[in-house]
Amino acid sequence: MITVQAALSGLLLGGLYALMAAGVSVTWGVLRVINLALFGMMLISAYLTFAVATAWGVDPLVTLLVTVPAMFVLGGLVQLTFDALKITELNSLLLSFGLLIVIVQAVSNIWSADFQRMAADVNPYATEAVHIGRFVFPAPTLLAFGVAILVIGGAHLLLRRTFAGRAVRAFAEDRTVAATFGIDHRKVGVLLAAVAGAIAAVAGMLFSLGNALTPATAFEWFGTVFAVVILGGVGQVAGTLAAGLLVGLLSGVVSVTLSPAASPFVLFSAIILALLLRPQGLFAVRTVVR
Amino acid sequence: MLEIDDLDAFYGDAQALWGVSMEVGAGETVAVIGPNGAGKTTLVQCIAGMHRGRRGRITVDGVDVHALPAHKVCAYGVATVPEGRRVFPTMTVFDNLCVGAYRRAARATHRAELDRVHQLFPRLAQRAGQLAGSLSGGEQQMLAIGRALMARPRLLLLDEPSLGLAPVVTDEVFDAIGTVNGQGVSVLLVEQDVDRALEISTRCYLLAEGRVVSSGPSATLRESDEVRKSVLGL
Amino acid sequence: MKGLLGIVAGVVGLATLSLYRETIGFPMFYLVLLTTMLFWVTQATSWNILSGFSGYFSFGQAAYVGIGAYSTAVLYGRHGVSFYLTVLVGAGLCAVLALAMGTIAFRLRSLRGEIFALLTLAVPFILAALARINGDIDGGQGIIVPIPEFPAGIGLFQDYLYLLTLVVAGGAVAVAYAIYHSRFGWALRAVHDAEDVAEGLGVATFRYKLLALTASAVLGGIGGSLFALQIGFVAVDSIFHLTIPLFVIVMSVLGGRTHWFGPVVGVALVVLLQDRLTASGLGEWQLIALGTILVLLVIAAPEGMYARIRSRPLVALAAAVVVTAVLWFVRPEPLDALLGGLIAATAVAMWPRRKRAVPVTAPVPAQTDAKPPEVRVERPPPVELGAVVVEVAHVARYFGGVRALEDVSLTIREGEIVGLVGPNGSGKTTLVSMLSGTLRPTRGTIRVAGRDLAGLPPHKVAHVGISRTYQIPKPFASMTVRDNVAMALMFGRSPRPLAVARRDATEPLETVGLGRLADAYPASLNLHQRQLLEIARALAADPKVLLLDEALAGLNPAEIDNAVEVIRRVHEGGVSIVIVEHLLRVVNQLATRIVVLDRGTCLADDEPAKVLADPRVVSAYLGRRAHARDR
Repeated sequence: MITVQAALSGLLLGGLYALMAAGVSVTWGVLRVINLALFGMMLISAYLTFAVATAWGVDPLVTLLVTVPAMFVLGGLVQLTFDALKITELNSLLLSFGLLIVIVQAVSNIWSADFQRMAADVNPYATEAVHIGRFVFPAPTLLAFGVAILVIGGAHLLLRRTFAGRAVRAFAEDRTVAATFGIDHRKVGVLLAAVAGAIAAVAGMLFSLGNALTPATAFEWFGTVFAVVILGGVGQVAGTLAAGLLVGLLSGVVSVTLSPAASPFVLFSAIILALLLRPQGLFAVRTVVR
Repeated sequence: MLEIDDLDAFYGDAQALWGVSMEVGAGETVAVIGPNGAGKTTLVQCIAGMHRGRRGRITVDGVDVHALPAHKVCAYGVATVPEGRRVFPTMTVFDNLCVGAYRRAARATHRAELDRVHQLFPRLAQRAGQLAGSLSGGEQQMLAIGRALMARPRLLLLDEPSLGLAPVVTDEVFDAIGTVNGQGVSVLLVEQDVDRALEISTRCYLLAEGRVVSSGPSATLRESDEVRKSVLGL
Repeated sequence: MKGLLGIVAGVVGLATLSLYRETIGFPMFYLVLLTTMLFWVTQATSWNILSGFSGYFSFGQAAYVGIGAYSTAVLYGRHGVSFYLTVLVGAGLCAVLALAMGTIAFRLRSLRGEIFALLTLAVPFILAALARINGDIDGGQGIIVPIPEFPAGIGLFQDYLYLLTLVVAGGAVAVAYAIYHSRFGWALRAVHDAEDVAEGLGVATFRYKLLALTASAVLGGIGGSLFALQIGFVAVDSIFHLTIPLFVIVMSVLGGRTHWFGPVVGVALVVLLQDRLTASGLGEWQLIALGTILVLLVIAAPEGMYARIRSRPLVALAAAVVVTAVLWFVRPEPLDALLGGLIAATAVAMWPRRKRAVPVTAPVPAQTDAKPPEVRVERPPPVELGAVVVEVAHVARYFGGVRALEDVSLTIREGEIVGLVGPNGSGKTTLVSMLSGTLRPTRGTIRVAGRDLAGLPPHKVAHVGISRTYQIPKPFASMTVRDNVAMALMFGRSPRPLAVARRDATEPLETVGLGRLADAYPASLNLHQRQLLEIARALAADPKVLLLDEALAGLNPAEIDNAVEVIRRVHEGGVSIVIVEHLLRVVNQLATRIVVLDRGTCLADDEPAKVLADPRVVSAYLGRRAHARDR
């Protein structure tokens, strides 16, 4: 019973993991840049949610009106910089690492390194729980899961069904040929990065609903996010969702059956196995060998 | 329709094209033949905007496009069928065709264009949901042409459409090119297969080692020994 | 040698600061600062051995420090094991970790640099989680590390710690120096510039990368053990923190990644900056400053300071001295003055230089004729054909559903020049890739000098006797022309030391006509010269067979004639040649035999005259219907 509860809770949590990983995965797969600053954007969004909700006494979800546009712009700006500098994959890693450090330190300077948490009257979700059958799920987890499904599902549909989505996919496959049909690489890149920023904003907000915040949290997300990115297949939106759920499920089950300490190892071993056996990702469906 | 004036193109410090000049009139089919390495693909890439020439002009319908990037050139009615097809392998046939219609002017009428492409290539209609990478070579070639047609071009650039195709399939492809030209689209065809190129075109340019070595009506060039020797590289 | 003496002198000099501290009156505060600097010198230098020299960026330095620190803390701090033993244990564990990481990451051919970087990013977190949760290790409370006993006569514990750290740092720098000047270092540099090419020359890249990673880990771990002593209290958050790789990366990138001394320069500047910021109460801005410096460096000056200082040493030194002196008058704290001086030196060194005119090598005449020049019809003298060197037997290669090659067989004998021709898409490149060992046949075998190529790792293929040039030349950008060729000699079939290799490189260079450009860098060569360098490098590997893959692409007629001469000279030197070329007139001039491929099968294989008159060949080139029309 406990195991099933842990499994389900983990599964739901996996939705949030997937949401966090989505931006990194897509920008890496399509634009060939690794943007660690997205972690910084998630952090800023989480803290802004805390700050704005507390200061103005509004529902945390409302803060999205502030954080989403802000991170949208920031994401786009970072990509513009990458583009203007004609930056390589490795250098994007370095540069965004530098940015991330600056962001984390700035956050620490502004809000101190102490753990911060939204008060109960500011954040009604934290204390609520939902009963489904014999299982109990905290409201933030459920909400995060729902939003993740919506956002990722929506992204998936957009990519599949709209002209813009097809343009992005074509761009990812063959940039040069895509250009001959009018697909402007700079516009695609900036737009994609901006959307990644917006998604990061949402993820950060959702995280703050159920967790205490400290600047170092941004670094703690690395392990999980990259596990999801690699297992799901770099650049695959649907795969990221599946991988996120899997990672959540695994972590939940392992924590309960073995011990919480075992979780990082299981994860690590999973990444290694995946890299060895199926480097394109566990859930990469559409790979055509050319 | 298309005018190329004294075009020079480089890859780094290696010169690929030397003072190339040619033209394609409205509604014409013009062929460019020549041995491998002559610069034929470079030529197509320069027109399409995929590569930038260092000197010279490229005029489409009176507009100088030589300095424009590819995504702007297509707005002037230029569509490309690249060498080796280069369809988007993990996208379906239908999606590939839709990408062709990406530009504003083409999107509005893309359903009608889709019907026309399906009429021209019935096999594409049958395989609408199939991944492009799993199609045969001939089907991919048809898809690449269909994709270009979705952009409602006034000038169609084809780079070695016969490459790697069996003769029967090549017949189909070239018939389709003829039909397209008949519908009013100007065609610039770069080909390795000299005979087919000369058969389908009204005029022809012979490109060797980056220069236009000779040109004229296709009917005349067919009989010419010079062409034969040049293509064999002798 | 000079460098090693310099290192020893430096170590001795710095040691006296402590040994005679009270006599000189050297403030303890400076000693502590120096200790910190020396810790970072160890970390940055060891990081640089892998990441700077070979280009494989690691974000995991904290893992080594953590393992070293925790080994000492747990074994010595909790269980009283001898401190020196714990250093060994820590180093050993680091080595194991490095071997594991490297074996996994470096084996995967398609996912090299970036995946490795991310993997190294994740490892410290895993270790931190392990330490935090496992009560035997840390349990979340941290471990106190007591001061060990140290030899009498050294003074205070701080002196002893300083000396230990000094010795370790000196050792790390010495190791970096030794590697830099050895075969190992050259191999790493080649990996950095062009890993595929290096493998093709016979460099065992996997082995060298793994060694570099292990060296870096072990040194980092030793430094970590000492660090535990220095801070006295080991806790997860302070040890496995991302600031460690950040500092190390900034220090090395700032100082200069490609030289063994670069990181030292970077360390000096960064630690001093950090210290002064903290002293002025701006400690909170440290990380922001460092992050910003990293961003600016990546954008503006990725090669680092040391290289730039070396090109203007006197000006930089002068600036440093002048500014330091001036500031000393103004502010009493000498460290502030020193920092000012260093920043001035940096600014001067980094100042963009006016572009000097690049020395022009002999210009190759430009062709302006409309027609290519007439064909020279001299044929090569008939050669005695020797033993079979390459045997291709019923080889097929499929890529998914595409049949690139189907049932191709051919033999190449000593003394031949075989022209491999065919229309686009005929499978020429696939065949060449299989001959050079980069691709494996789906079916069939390829034997070179009797040895089956299948199952040989890429760097061993070079030793079997096949050398290949690439259509787009890929020289090692950081090495001179001579050294590029020397690489092939150092790692080829009969390896030899660098000095000998450099000398022996003269012959291949003369053969291709690059003798006078031996000390130039590839960036200043034109395309033709770079292609000649490719040929020289391939030649230096002493091959039995030389594969020239479209070596004449993009050349003007004069250059083509020159290249043909060079190829003839190479052939006369006893090398069989396979030349893949579009220019049939060239193949006609050179080849003793022409093999025509068409759509994956072998269409003709005979003397040039016969092949070019063969109606099937004509039809393949001119079009399917030409043959029918001729009848």
